[in-house]
Amino acid sequence: MPLHKYSPKIWEALKLQKGIYARLPQHYLRSLQDTTPPTPVHWKPLGVKYRANPNTGQRERVQDVPIPIYYPPESQDGLWGGEGWISGFRYAKNDKLSTRLRKTWKPQLFKRELYSEILDQKFNVTVTARTLDLIDAAFGFDFYILKTPKQELNSKFGMDLKRAMLLRLAQKDKDLYPNDPDRREIYNRYKNFEIPEGEAEWVGLTLEEAVEKQRLLEKKDPEPLYNGLVKKLVNELTIRKLSEPTIVEKK
Amino acid sequence: MWGITASRFVLQGCWNFSHLQCSLSRIQNLSLTACKNTVVVERWWKVPLSKEGRPPRLYARRHKVYRLVEDTKHKGEDKMELILTQTVPKLGGRGDTVFVKKSVGRNTLLPQGLAVYPSQENKDTFTEERRLLKEGRPEDRIQTRTGQLTTEFLKQSKLEVGMHTSIQYSLTKEIVCRQLLRKLGVVVPTHALTLPEEPITDLGEYWCDVTVNGLETVRVPMSVVPFVEPRQLRLMKKQKEQSDSE
Repeated sequence: MPLHKYSPKIWEALKLQKGIYARLPQHYLRSLQDTTPPTPVHWKPLGVKYRANPNTGQRERVQDVPIPIYYPPESQDGLWGGEGWISGFRYAKNDKLSTRLRKTWKPQLFKRELYSEILDQKFNVTVTARTLDLIDAAFGFDFYILKTPKQELNSKFGMDLKRAMLLRLAQKDKDLYPNDPDRREIYNRYKNFEIPEGEAEWVGLTLEEAVEKQRLLEKKDPEPLYNGLVKKLVNELTIRKLSEPTIVEKK
Repeated sequence: MWGITASRFVLQGCWNFSHLQCSLSRIQNLSLTACKNTVVVERWWKVPLSKEGRPPRLYARRHKVYRLVEDTKHKGEDKMELILTQTVPKLGGRGDTVFVKKSVGRNTLLPQGLAVYPSQENKDTFTEERRLLKEGRPEDRIQTRTGQLTTEFLKQSKLEVGMHTSIQYSLTKEIVCRQLLRKLGVVVPTHALTLPEEPITDLGEYWCDVTVNGLETVRVPMSVVPFVEPRQLRLMKKQKEQSDSE
């Protein structure tokens, strides 16, 4: 016998359909629905559905089983490039019959000063070697931040940077070196990534932040009843005054 | 009562400020010894197949037992491709594509603006610049870095050409080119070399002009001396040394 009208598993999804959640901008809601898995960093996917069994040569179905990775809160303040903690077990001496030991593999973290051209600022960021390689592959820090989708970036700090960059690109006449013709070419380099300002404001916000933003946008101070009534009364009085016949004496 | 709470707060303060710092640093130091880079792991035990479109069934405890496949840290660092924007000693000149160690590129060349990433735009701009340098008007063309080095070397150098006195002949361009290659190690094609108008048939002091990259011309003093066989030359040198030491 069902205890609830809807299964608790879909409560989160149902929540988005009513109240202030439903009034959030469409592009933001669409970005929330994007649930493509990130590229595997800590395991090698087979990438095929069927393969020949290495022993028998028989065709068999295989499945990629992702390894669960823990992303600690610190990873949100840096750019770990999709790396995280793998907590599990290992066998002592790599022997299957030996003792099982607890093991957590953690990434090696570096502090690096990274310069962003668009924001014209240096950031002290906690990075991994993989992040540095990805930055090189993308030909620059700004390109890396702008090109990489949310699930790959996997960091609140990175998404904040992305939002700031997109906002700067959107407000190019005001923010992006308006008086410096030499550096105006920076805009030409990144203009492929430009999106309207209204959308850029919502990029990378968490659901709570987005709801708070929407609430502040919709918020209206209640007008006291007194103001409206006074206006109405004044109107009525002027009308009455005008409609009264005035007596003009004949001389 | 007060004492207890105060002590608790004292401990908390310690934890928050000083103790946290030192404990953190100690943890970091410890972890530095055993730290790993991007690790790739795999399962010791196979996970049973689930139905298609269903998530894999990961109930067993043994599915959390992993084996280290590789650590990219120990892979060995490969090099990084960059395009130089300025002349860098021991690397090259503007527009050269170089392969450098990642640390050099990231910490020195890129922050100082000596190099840029080899993106398609940058490649295009630099190839265009190279093309203009090669094919443009002679006023616009600039000597390359290696060309400059060559001219500097040629300005300081002197050429000695051996000439057989037993037979009559005149020095040709080919002979001088070969002597330039043998004595100075400079490869000079014949069209880049200019000799005096009148043929050189006698011993004496002469000159030759070498044009580098078709831009600069360097006059190299050339002395024509009687030819001595290498073996005899070595002998003479040895005798001279002996006489000097005595």
